[in-house]
Amino acid sequence: MPILELERIDSVTDKSSLMDLLTAIQSNLLSPAILFFVLGVFAAVSKSDLKFPEALYSTLTIYLLTAIGFKGGVAVHQAGIGAVWLPALAAMLLGALIPLWTYPVLRKAGKFSVADAGAIAAHYGSVSAVTFIAATNFLKSIHQPYESYASAFLAVMESPAIIVGVMLGKGALGGKLSLRDAGVRHALRDAVLGKGVLLLVGALIIGALSGPAGMTMVEGFFVTPFQGVLALFLLEMGMVAGRRLGDLKKAGLFLVLFGISAPLLHGTVGVLLGLWTGLSIGGCTLLGVLAASASYIAAPAAVRLSLPEANPTYSLTGALAITFPFNITIGVPLFFEIAKRLHA
Amino acid sequence: MNPNFNTPPAMNLHPMKRVTIICESILEDRVLELLQETGAQGHTAFPVRGGGHQGERCADITETANVQIDVILKPAIAEALLQRLQTELFADYAMVAYESDVRVLRPDKF
Repeated sequence: MPILELERIDSVTDKSSLMDLLTAIQSNLLSPAILFFVLGVFAAVSKSDLKFPEALYSTLTIYLLTAIGFKGGVAVHQAGIGAVWLPALAAMLLGALIPLWTYPVLRKAGKFSVADAGAIAAHYGSVSAVTFIAATNFLKSIHQPYESYASAFLAVMESPAIIVGVMLGKGALGGKLSLRDAGVRHALRDAVLGKGVLLLVGALIIGALSGPAGMTMVEGFFVTPFQGVLALFLLEMGMVAGRRLGDLKKAGLFLVLFGISAPLLHGTVGVLLGLWTGLSIGGCTLLGVLAASASYIAAPAAVRLSLPEANPTYSLTGALAITFPFNITIGVPLFFEIAKRLHA
Repeated sequence: MNPNFNTPPAMNLHPMKRVTIICESILEDRVLELLQETGAQGHTAFPVRGGGHQGERCADITETANVQIDVILKPAIAEALLQRLQTELFADYAMVAYESDVRVLRPDKF
């Protein structure tokens, strides 16, 4: 009975890919960065007196953004701009488009106000650098090669969604939008000159100009200590996320569901887009993770100033207390498995 | 013996207002713009932490940090500034602002 044979083979591969996924999730959870994140959550929940000074948090942010920007730039130098522009353009478009479909869902199904829906859409279209770094770490740990220039995608995905989200939150769909609005002007300016974009794009260009020779000069500072810095940063993020857990009740069940289903959908779209633009399994995973991630550094600051009437509790709790932990624990290995299956 | 030994030097102190603004640190630039527009000549800003109606501001990441901005102004300008803070920023942001009486030596400086 050949049909039965076929089904049996199918069920066997299903089982083994589930095992693959579980192993991948397990190895991801046991990396120092993720364990430090868990420690941070524990410290916050148990009300420990552990606290980072703001200056250290800023320093760690600057270090991480500069380091990945530079590394990505060197990779762009090696791969040539010809290999980078198509997936980068696709990534940018995806970032700008995500708010366009999340906004109506948030408005209709979530019953959020115009400003709140725009703010949440901006956060989910924009990206999280640390989620991206966690994904590159995961790929490294399982010896899966990836396009190192993917940090260029990170750089171009940060701003478009914030601009689109702010415009939606200002009532663009009701025809109430004015480009002279101070909030929109601020979002546009921040999109280019905000510290995250400035550092990432700046370091990317510097890396691309100086190339591998430049890399050997800064390697000792930007590459070797990177994992340790990341572990410290995630400890802090764990505390920040942990303190937000109490806000989950205020955020409501819809936002919790949204915070998990949005990354699942966006991540899958990201992986597909990577596949169409010719990325490897590793590259597809990274683009998926970027699409799935929600910003909690660039977007909150920009949105707070551009859309002051939006309640930051919703967007920040969703991005930080739900989507970020989901992505770095389950999302990353999951999108890798999806990328692997679609490549096969 | 110096006859003036125990008498302080004559001081001519002028009454002024000190306006103190405590707000989300991302607002610092907006508030400074406002100060300039209303005619303040300078200011002092420092990072602070605290809590209030809109929750704890624990100041470990920029997004939850607070800033305090102190500025000394002529009474009329102080009032104009407080009024603008009220109409433009109070509704949307975590913010406290108040004025108090101070006396300064060099009134033309403010």
